[in-house]
Amino acid sequence: MKATSGNPWLESLLAGHEGLPTASASWVDVRRRGALEQAHALALPTRTDEAWRFTDLSSLYRMAFKVLGQSDPAGVRSVSADTPAVMGRIAAHQLPEAAHRLVFVDGIYEPGLSTACVAEGIRVCSLADVLAAAADPLHERVQGTLGRIAGTDDDALATLNMAFLQQGAVVSLERHAQLTGPLHLLFVSAQADIAAHPRVLVMLDAHAQAHIVEDHVSLHAGAGCVNAVTEILLGAGASLRHARIQRDSGAAFHIARCAVELQRDARYESVAIALGARLSRLDLDVHLRGEGAHASVDGLAMIAGGQLADTHTLIDHACAHGTSRQTHKVILAGNAQGVFNGRILVRPGAQQTDSSQQSRTLLLSDRARIDAKPQLEIFADDVKCAHGATVGQIEADELFYLVSRGIAPPAARRLLTFGFAADLINRLGIASLEQRLRELVLEQTESLRIPA
Amino acid sequence: MSSTLQQLIDQPYQHGFVTDIESDVVARGLNEDVIRLISSKKDEPEWLLEFRLAAYRHWLTMTLPEWSTVDYPAIDFQAISYYAAPKAKKKLASMDEVDPELLRTFEKLGVPIHEQKALAGVAVDVIFDSVSVTTTYKKRLAEAGVIFCSLSEAVHEHPELVRRYLGSVVGANDNYYAALNSAVFTEGSFCFIPRGVKCPMELSTYFRINTQESGQFERTLIVAEEGADVSYLEGCTAPQFDTNQLHAAVVELVALERASIKYSTVQNWYAGDANGVGGIYNFVTKRGVCKGAYSRISWTQVETGSAITWKYPSCVLEGDHSVGEFYSVALTNHHQQADTGTKMIHLGRNTRSTIISKGISAGQSKNSYRGLVQVGPKAEGARNYSQCDSMLIGDRCAASTFPYLRVMNESARVEHEATTSKIGADQLFYFASRGVDNESAVSMIINGFVKDVFTQLPMEFAVEASKLLGLKLEGSVG
Repeated sequence: MKATSGNPWLESLLAGHEGLPTASASWVDVRRRGALEQAHALALPTRTDEAWRFTDLSSLYRMAFKVLGQSDPAGVRSVSADTPAVMGRIAAHQLPEAAHRLVFVDGIYEPGLSTACVAEGIRVCSLADVLAAAADPLHERVQGTLGRIAGTDDDALATLNMAFLQQGAVVSLERHAQLTGPLHLLFVSAQADIAAHPRVLVMLDAHAQAHIVEDHVSLHAGAGCVNAVTEILLGAGASLRHARIQRDSGAAFHIARCAVELQRDARYESVAIALGARLSRLDLDVHLRGEGAHASVDGLAMIAGGQLADTHTLIDHACAHGTSRQTHKVILAGNAQGVFNGRILVRPGAQQTDSSQQSRTLLLSDRARIDAKPQLEIFADDVKCAHGATVGQIEADELFYLVSRGIAPPAARRLLTFGFAADLINRLGIASLEQRLRELVLEQTESLRIPA
Repeated sequence: MSSTLQQLIDQPYQHGFVTDIESDVVARGLNEDVIRLISSKKDEPEWLLEFRLAAYRHWLTMTLPEWSTVDYPAIDFQAISYYAAPKAKKKLASMDEVDPELLRTFEKLGVPIHEQKALAGVAVDVIFDSVSVTTTYKKRLAEAGVIFCSLSEAVHEHPELVRRYLGSVVGANDNYYAALNSAVFTEGSFCFIPRGVKCPMELSTYFRINTQESGQFERTLIVAEEGADVSYLEGCTAPQFDTNQLHAAVVELVALERASIKYSTVQNWYAGDANGVGGIYNFVTKRGVCKGAYSRISWTQVETGSAITWKYPSCVLEGDHSVGEFYSVALTNHHQQADTGTKMIHLGRNTRSTIISKGISAGQSKNSYRGLVQVGPKAEGARNYSQCDSMLIGDRCAASTFPYLRVMNESARVEHEATTSKIGADQLFYFASRGVDNESAVSMIINGFVKDVFTQLPMEFAVEASKLLGLKLEGSVG
């Protein structure tokens, strides 16, 4: 990071940073500046870093993006939100089941499309609004919590996100509070070549319950850059279902870090689906910091052409009696490249941990390539841990079964490919979203040139 | 329960003694003069000296590898003596001429020197420190056309073979310790099985480190020509003393078309005392290349000793339809560390590989499986199955699994499975309810756990290895 020359990406971000408006709360400016200084001290990841060995960011570093500043109203609301056509296309992405919705267009909160929620013990609101309202009791809590679990010590990209701290969502549920329906966090890219740094903070107090869909969509086919950070804190017995859908444009770069901390008996169930982006990377760290916590962490990446999807997960069992389940599937066509690094850590004292992980990859082309690395690191003896990884193609006997019933081989292959993906989509628990994704996957399957 | 386990863990090293034989030791330190001295002491041809010097010069430019989980104090490469040879100069014609002190050492170790003739089928090339003292069964092997001798002998008698294959699998620049080995290796074995020959007996070498503070840098080279077949056994023990000893060996296997090489190891070097003081650093580069179609290389290893075991016996599957296998049991106790596994590099079509790894950790030890299965773009129909199981005994040890799967061909099928388990109180209770005491129960459970690997060992080794595990774990489970 020391030398920004030869890195147009960083240069464009730094130029954009100067244009950011001064925050009304002084600590926000302090944090941003501190993060920027730290980002200067940290090196941007390259392929010599073990965590980035298989994902080359140099194509990102060669691109320059615009940073939208709040003070620049023309830039802020993009071409976007006022034109009825764009409004209509954004509305098409809304979920009828959602009880609440926060919409961000090109990274900036769009109150006109959103339904924030202030009810007894429940706050669902824009991060920018909370940062601007020093008198809001939530303000102080956000100040104390932001960046606590998505650490910025060694992660240059998460640090950069902090340097642009402004836009995002805050969800705060008090003890025993429940959201009546799913919360839809819709991040829309309406114009090309924008860099966005959304930040989501979810705080569920003891026994609170929520269902959150983090949804990244694009209205164009151009380039763009998302560098997102999500932090989730679950109190004792709290329960969160979390879907993360990434359908960015095929020319976009999408980098995301999600950190989750679970207290005693908390539950975290997540499904992360990556279909878009030229290069996507998700770092999902789940820390089980209380006894009896449960995490299920599922993922699906279905990509083709020259796309790359990289998923790094860490399930950190720090306390006894924790359970975790993970199924990660990757479907690769064209000359797509998949990366999966799933690390399960059982710390000393985390006895009676029960953890299992499955990684499955379907290769549909002889130019596709997968690097899978499931890891177990175990420091306690009374545990049950298993992982399995497979890489292969469509099973010959499954294909034969369908063909024997009169289904043509190409159709049978598509059907089996679809079924491989649909298994994970069906875990989302929101009918309209499942339906939409199934259609999208079917479309992708149809367009695949699957060898007969 | 844990006290019995503790007793088992605390068994002192059985083979700890230092034989008092005068050694011809080169002064400590490493520079080009030392390499020239080693080369001239061994009366080597010019090309081999050049090989050593090139490796040494490259080694100087390399940095210590730090990517592994093993943790050890910095090694002072200038504090090591790179050459030691027993004083006895002349070649011995019969066993009677062997130094009686040496014979007593072998007796304590249980090397069947006297029983060799009775134990037909085992030729032993005994390496005592760095010079081969006695080689037996040479005649019978010679009749079959098999060349089995020390590497230095082979350099003189079969220079064209050695020159052709030495460094062809593990290049002098391959890695830090392989480069060091290439520069200073002093002894080792050479084995050549000509076309169509099935080696009439199992070949076995006992390596033994004897002189304090002298690192051992053996180099083994096995070449099996078209259709040849050989099984090679390697066993190790070392005397007990406090100074850490570096052991950086290189093993190279070459299998041509339809050849088969089976390489088995039982490693029980000094592991350090219960507090982790002393013990051998076992940093070995082992690799085989299946050059020809339908060739096969099989590694079987039982790693129970050494303070640190750090090695990845690997197969490069170049020939179409070639097969690579890796069967491993790694047991660590006290403060031992093991970072071991394999690499299966599939390059040819329809190549197959199997990996079965069983790790047992007890005490405060660390045991890691690290492996790579790579399928190249041209390896149509490649197939791999890996299974890596860990067993933890006690709550202060660690077991890790780091498999890398890298697939660049859609017709490949790669499967990896790993599990972790322990010896549960319920299992012991089940045995106890049937009148089986804890010790026997643990022994049975462990032997069941490693069965898939032990069945791959040659008979004599399987018995020895089974005893070794029992010995190592005595009292450690309860």
